[in-house]
Amino acid sequence: MCICILYLNVLSRISGSQATEVKVSEVEFNPNFVSRMIPKLEWSALVQAADGLGHLQDLPTELIADYEANEDFLRKVHRVLLEVEVLEGCLQCPESGREFPITRGVPNMLLNEEEA
Amino acid sequence: LISDGQQCPLVVVGETGFQVSDEVYTVTIGATVPTGFENTAAEEVQEKIGANAKISKDRGRIYFQITTDKLSQVHHLRSVDNLFVVVEEYDNYQFKDSKEETLEDLQKLASKLPWSDALKVWNMNTTLKKKRGPHRQPQGPRGRGRGKANKVTLETDTMQTETIEADIVETDTVETDTVVTDTVVTDTVETDEVPGQELGAKVLKFRVTCNRAGDKHSFSSNEAARDFGGAVQELFQWKADMTKFDIEVLLNIHNVEMVIGIALTEESLHRRNITHFGPTTLRSTLCYGMLRLCKPQASDVILDPMCGTGAIPLEGAIEWQQAFYLAGDNNDMAVSRTVNNICHIQKKRRDKGSISGLPIDTVQWDLCHLPMRTSSVDIIITDMPFGKRMGSRKNNWDLYPSCLKEMARVTRPGSGKAVILTQDKKCFQKAISRMGGLWRKHHTVWVNVGGLHAGVFLLKRTLGIFGQIAEDSREGKESKPHEEKPGEERKKE
Repeated sequence: MCICILYLNVLSRISGSQATEVKVSEVEFNPNFVSRMIPKLEWSALVQAADGLGHLQDLPTELIADYEANEDFLRKVHRVLLEVEVLEGCLQCPESGREFPITRGVPNMLLNEEEA
Repeated sequence: LISDGQQCPLVVVGETGFQVSDEVYTVTIGATVPTGFENTAAEEVQEKIGANAKISKDRGRIYFQITTDKLSQVHHLRSVDNLFVVVEEYDNYQFKDSKEETLEDLQKLASKLPWSDALKVWNMNTTLKKKRGPHRQPQGPRGRGRGKANKVTLETDTMQTETIEADIVETDTVETDTVVTDTVVTDTVETDEVPGQELGAKVLKFRVTCNRAGDKHSFSSNEAARDFGGAVQELFQWKADMTKFDIEVLLNIHNVEMVIGIALTEESLHRRNITHFGPTTLRSTLCYGMLRLCKPQASDVILDPMCGTGAIPLEGAIEWQQAFYLAGDNNDMAVSRTVNNICHIQKKRRDKGSISGLPIDTVQWDLCHLPMRTSSVDIIITDMPFGKRMGSRKNNWDLYPSCLKEMARVTRPGSGKAVILTQDKKCFQKAISRMGGLWRKHHTVWVNVGGLHAGVFLLKRTLGIFGQIAEDSREGKESKPHEEKPGEERKKE
């Protein structure tokens, strides 16, 4: 599960202690994709997740201005969004604390009968 | 003149010489595509090859011209199932009234046809295929190996003819005639095992496949294939072989139109991405057609909430990489197969030296409780369960409205769209008619999936905010229906 989907998701908390296996793989860089994706994300939450997984590197904690033309910056975001993957771990709902396991890169978001 | 010593020598009789040369000339290529997606295929041909494609009246076929130096490009088309090079085409062939005379004509025709250019193209193509390396062997769960290019033409006496294409691998083989034939399961020949590699040692093997449609013919496709095939055999002194053939000659007859061609693909291209099949895996060419309909843009978030084996989002992630795909299903097996299919493709890419990662993720979820923020998705694209093969009609009455509601919630108002394939058209249309406040029907493509008539519905998400308007309220006047080219939308209720 790559971080990209996290921010489309209602759950926004994932931390290092919950991710037991993280992998980095190469995905083709598409600057158009990244720069249009950025406004859809909650920047601080992205930074937090990346940090929690130990992959913050030199990603700035504040979103910089004029990022569309900044290839260097876009590449850093690309890496965090698409190339860092959680293979084993879990996602936690910030409100209820309910945990959803991630196995083989797939989060299981099925609700129990009571929760539905 | 043999260019690389690996070509199959053709043993020919008479004056038809056979040479390979470097000259470039123009040929007509025919392609079979999923019925209903002829236009999208023509668009792809225009885009990738720059050729103007002609859509045949014989459904599911398009034709275009290319120069022989561009031959390899046709194998990059993702909307075509099979390719062939045209030997000759007749717009208005006069079939005689009696069967004997007609068949005699066909026999005489064989030696009059301009085979030479088409055979050169076939030869070039065979060389190309060898260079590309051995074909991957997709193994369906039943372990049937590959190559179920099942095309059965049912010859009825009415105007309609059904060409049923088994695009779902687990479909049972419809029974066929096995005379020099009109169709069959190909027991495929590995490209690098093509006989005749030893120079001058072997004679080529061939078969004739005849597809016939129309109600005024005095003969059957079997008879045509048999007699025409006999004449071809005499002409070239090839050996007839139903299963291990080198050359497949195609005889396509649609009323008074007749096309003779030579196949350029041995196994249908439609199975390219999937190695882990499920009960209702869609062929990749159909997935491609559906994706083209929704025109993915950069940074679009594209969701398949009932992904099955992941065929649709995977095709998207390969072909339109500037978007992001989320494949989800509630079923363990489906999730597992999706992951396996994605891994397999990534491994293939790595092996070829390309960047392997794809912009796609898999989630296990309940499609009526999607773990997605409201209005976060740009496109929903999916194959909704058909009553017959998965689930039941009764379930669909409840399932469709709740699905559509949840899909409306997560889809961006105004710009969002959905492309949904379903065979249960009645149930679907009813469900949609009650959601006018959220979804608007934009366009429908009628297709054939495993012999069943299905519809691909393109919907637009209205500006209505979910939760703020009554779902079934209408937005006043129905929006103007998309302008269709004649014949594009055919209601098949």
